[in-house]
Parts: sequence; C-alpha cells; structure tokens
Amino acid sequence: MTTRRRTLLAGTAALALSALVQGTPAWSQAKIELVIANSQWLDALRGAKLWAALEKYEQVNPNVDLVQEAVPSSDITTRLMTEMGAGLGPDIAIPQDALFVALAGAGFLLPLDDVAAGIPNLNATNDAGVLDGVRLGIAWQRSPYALIYNKKLLEQAGASVPTTVDELVAQAEKVSAATGAIGFAARHSTVETGWFLDFSNWAYGNGVNWVDAEGKLNVNTPEVAAAIADFAKMYHSGMIPIGDQMSTQRQRFKEGQVAFAIDASGGTLNIASGGAMPSTDLAAAPLPFPRPGAHQQIFVVLSKFSKHPEEARDFLRWLYSAEGQQSLREASGPDPLATDVPVSAEFIAANPWAPAFVEIGKTSRAILIPGHEVDTAAILRPVMEGVEKVLLGGATAEAAMAAAQAEIDSKFGRK
Amino acid sequence: MTGTAGHQTVTPGRGRRRTVHLERWLPYAFVALPFGYLVLFMFWPLTDQMLMSFADTKLMNPNAGKFIGLDNYRRLVADPQFYTTLRITIVYTVLAVLFGVGLGVIAAFAIDRPFRGRAAVRAVLLFGWAVPGVAAALIWLWIFNLPSGVLNDITQAMGLGRLRWTNSLGLALPSILIVTVWQVSPFVMLVVLAALQSVPEEVREAARIDGADALNVFRNVTLPHILPTLQLVSLLIAVWSIRRFDVIYLLTGGGPIGSTSTLVVELRQTAFEDFNLGMASAYGAVGLVLALLVALVHFLFERHRARVMSR
Repeated sequence: MTTRRRTLLAGTAALALSALVQGTPAWSQAKIELVIANSQWLDALRGAKLWAALEKYEQVNPNVDLVQEAVPSSDITTRLMTEMGAGLGPDIAIPQDALFVALAGAGFLLPLDDVAAGIPNLNATNDAGVLDGVRLGIAWQRSPYALIYNKKLLEQAGASVPTTVDELVAQAEKVSAATGAIGFAARHSTVETGWFLDFSNWAYGNGVNWVDAEGKLNVNTPEVAAAIADFAKMYHSGMIPIGDQMSTQRQRFKEGQVAFAIDASGGTLNIASGGAMPSTDLAAAPLPFPRPGAHQQIFVVLSKFSKHPEEARDFLRWLYSAEGQQSLREASGPDPLATDVPVSAEFIAANPWAPAFVEIGKTSRAILIPGHEVDTAAILRPVMEGVEKVLLGGATAEAAMAAAQAEIDSKFGRK
Repeated sequence: MTGTAGHQTVTPGRGRRRTVHLERWLPYAFVALPFGYLVLFMFWPLTDQMLMSFADTKLMNPNAGKFIGLDNYRRLVADPQFYTTLRITIVYTVLAVLFGVGLGVIAAFAIDRPFRGRAAVRAVLLFGWAVPGVAAALIWLWIFNLPSGVLNDITQAMGLGRLRWTNSLGLALPSILIVTVWQVSPFVMLVVLAALQSVPEEVREAARIDGADALNVFRNVTLPHILPTLQLVSLLIAVWSIRRFDVIYLLTGGGPIGSTSTLVVELRQTAFEDFNLGMASAYGAVGLVLALLVALVHFLFERHRARVMSR
C-alpha cells in the first residue's frame, strides 16, 4: 500500500515536472479559431477563391485556424442579428452596408480605429465605415453597377452600345429580334427583396435623392417619376423575362442567351465564370443614364462577442497589409478594395469588362439613405410597391409615390 | 405456520399498495414527457411571443424590448394594409379548404372502387403530398415560368397566350391556390378514402334493397359516415393554410403589390426586414386568434352533430 502510494506520488511529481519543463500545458496549445461569417463563401466560384485568399493568413500565423460561417445572402441579416442578439456569433463578419449599419446601431461591433490607424493607404471606400466618429467597419469590397452586354450577340445583330434608356430598349429589341436572345435581364418584382438595390441605379441615374436638403424623406419627386417612367419603358417593351428571378437570369446570361443587363460587379463576375459564354465575350459600359448609378458596399466588422478580439485584430492588420490586400485582389475580380490595389493585367486580359467597373466605382453612390441607413430597405419597400402599381396596376407614378410617401411618413415620420 | 401465514398475508398487502401506487402515478409518468415537450416547445414560446406583442422589441436587440401596452395592436388596426392582409388570408384559407377538400373527395371516390392500375393511380395522386413545400414551390416556379414554363406552352397552344402567372394581380393568388390544392388534396383523398372504406357495405346494400338510388345512398349512408372525417380534414387544412409560408413566399413573396401577402408572410417581413419583433408578434397573435376561431367553428359543428346523433 505504501509502495503503491509512493509510486503514485512519484508519478504525479514527474508529470508536474514534465509539464513545467515543457512550459505551456498541452490543452492551451490548441489553435485559436477565428470564425468569419460571409454570404460570399457560398458563391459558386468566387467563394472558394475568396476563402483561399484569407487562408494564407494561417501560414503567417500558424496558431490561428480560420473557420467559415457561410450564410446565404437571404438569411445573413436574420442569422447575424439573432446570433449577436444572443451574445453569440462569429468573431468577424463581412456584411453589406445596410446590415453593417444595423449591427453598429445595435451596439454589436467593436471599434477598429486602432487597426485603421496602422493602414496608411485606406481609400474613400472606407469613409462610410466611420459612424458617429468611431470606425466600426473597414471596406471589404465595393460592388458598383454597370451596363453589361454580350458582345457576340450585339455583333451578330449589328447593335451598338446604348447611352440612353431609349437606345437601350431599341438595341435590346434589335438583338432579340435578330438572335432570339432575351433583350434585358433585371429584377422586376417585389418577389425579389433586392429589387430596390437594382432600381437605385434607375433612380440615381435620374438624379433622385431620397431625402431633401433638410434630410426629410421625400420619395414623391419628379426625379422618381422619371426613373419609374424609364423602368416602365423597359418593362413594357417585353424585353425582360417576367417571372424569372435574377439567379435564373444570370444563369441564362452565362449561357449566352441574354443581350443586356444592369448588374453589380459581383454578379458580373458570377456571369463571367463557369458558363458557356467565355468571359472575353462579356463587356461593360457606363449606365445609360445622365448621372452615376449605385454601388453595394461590403464591410469587415469585429463582433463585440468575439472570444478572441485581439487575435481578430491581428488578422485584420494582416488583411489590410499589402500582402493581404494583394491576396484579396486576386480573388475579388474588379471590385474596388479598401486600399488601391490595381487589377492585374492578366485578370483584365481574361476579363476585358473589368476596368469599366473600376472606373464606374469612382463616382457611384451608396444605396443607403443618409440619416436612415438602417431603415433603407423598409423605406424603399413602399416605393418599390409603388413602382409595381405603375407597372401592373396602371397607376400614375405621381399617385403611386404619393401613396408611398404617406406610408413612409406614417411608419418613419417625416423627419 | 403462523409466521408463514403472516408472511403470506403481508406480501399481497405490500404488492397491492405498490400496484395502487403505480396505478396512481403511472398515468402522470406517461403524460409527463409530452407535457414537458408541449411546455418547452409550444406554450413557453407562445407565451413569450404573446408578451413580445406588448413590447417594442427589435430584432437588433431582442432582449431589450420595453413594455408598450397595446401600442402594437393600435398601430395594427390603424394600418389599412392589415385589413388587406387579413382579407387575403381568409380568402386564401377558404378557397384552399373548398378546392382542396372538394378535389380530394372526388379523387377518393374515384379510387374507392377497385379498377385496373388503381395502385399506380393512387401513387401518382399522392405525389403532391409527398413533395416537400420548398421543392413543390420550385417545381411550380418553372411550370409557371413565362418564357419556358410548361403551363404557358399549354395556354399558348390553347390560344390564350403566355400568362404572367405569379406576376400579375389577377393570377398571383390563383397560382398559389393551384399549388396549395395540388399539395393538400392528396392528403384529403387518403383520409377520406380510409373513411369511405370503413362504410359498412351491408348498410349500403340494405339501402339499395329498400329502393334508394345512388344519390340517396350517398346522402343518407355514405355522407353521414364520412362527415366527421370531412370536418376534421377541413379544420386541418384551414389551420395549415393560415400558417402556410413556404409556397407563398417562394412563389410570389407576398406580391405583386401585396396581393398574396398573408399574415405569415407579413409577419416575416415585419420581423426580418423591418426588424420589428414586437409588431411581428402582434401579427402572430392575430394568426393564432384566427386559427382558434376555425377550431371553435369545428367544435360547434362537432357539438351540433353529437346532439343530432343522440336524439
């Protein structure tokens, strides 16, 4: 019994000594997991490339394991809000601007001023990441909209690149008549919640400001009526495949069955990748409106509920270093990034449409309504229902927008 | 002997006590698990939702809602869109019950009698019930598709042209009704078929011998026999229709111009697009009241039928 006890004591002492000699205990040597949430991880082709770009950090810091939280774009708002509302969720999230502002408004984000201070070359895409004087987001990508077209179909039909909406309708009809292709791809119904994103181009292109000079919401203006009239021209021309959702229309574009579309650079990269139509057959031009259009902006944010905020900050410092940005550039196509990293010559050679997006991104406008960022989607819903009333119900744009204005005033106040 | 006798008298007494004890507690034990399940997954969330309907809870901060009394309900009844939504929900529910039950009953009668290939026909008819809602909606999206949908090929061949099924004000609600009826009528068929096959053949035979024609046999023998089943199945379809989401959301998203926006679709929009959980809970409470009203109607019918039967 005594011998056994001695053996036991000696064994324990030996174990303790060996642990001391080795320094850190075994259980604390486990890698740190940084969970990064983004809907783009699910993009058919780009998702894997974007993730591979980030995974390079694991070579720089072998103690960190990056873990994907892939959430469909239709669910990411609900998912992140619910998770963070419960004090859980990813360490880092990559949300679109509306969700970014909502997360910031809910107090779910940690300041990133210290990270940004170490990045000398942040460009203007980052401006909207500062809210009330605190930097809560750093740009991931900006995705501006352009007019994209199938060069081969246009050549076949002898069509030209339009610069006005009337020309766009005429050229779409020309290509459709000559080749049997679909004239124009666009979201065109409230069935798709993202319709307001695309319609923002028609609105901004006609000079719409959703708020007046005093910051009051004002959707019943001649500019909005002009935007609706432009969209109605295209809708009633029969060139849009009514009922097809944008995912289907993009697939048709990929297969070479669509002449024109107004799409963001992310959607265009999707169209240019993995379909029957080679990317070199795709071209992009400025929007056919008198004024610049819109862009979608994606931010990188750090959750207040991160278990490893310091490690997450280190990761962000790498992401916005020259090495991290170059890695991201190779996977991002033509999207403007947080720092000015030029699109490579090889990418442009393979995707001749890319430079147009870079150029357009310099003047495009954010979709979020100034002063009403969190409520933008909810404010623009009555507007889009109003557009639908004009398209389907035969209402005048003025009457439809007066009704939308009344609903917006009752729900959001005329502040 | 005495001891043994004593022992023999004591043992059954203990056994009886144990049995009595067991008989007393066993039912509670059986009920405990389902009761716990209901409390945890039904009554607790339901109570929480009802309480939330009296608060200004936002999705962004679900734990920070403040009590605002009846404000959400006041805003609800002041919103004209609410009455449109309520009307659409009721119209959709009533038509889904009428057409779903009607078609299911016809199908059940059609396959009640044996005929060649009955099993195959029954399997085909059951397809709509077997397909999950999301898959059904996606299948029908393609069937309704304007440029390449099979339904539009048919309407074009009939000279009606290609129709904007899910994108026109006049056809959006009928479109989701077509899919709903396609989904629920096989269930009605199955249940009614089971009821039909339990009608005693000798009673029908006796009615025929007494001179009743087919219509009279149906009205006086078959219908009273399957009526409780029809009532129950109507109740189920009504409640399912009030809370149906997948098909409506995927086919029309509640549009165009809110023409297919039922309470559940409006609830989702309010909760996850407007981030207003308090108001969404108020929509949920209205849906609950509607479902309870349907159950109440069923209960009244049931009580009336029981009274008639007991006379």
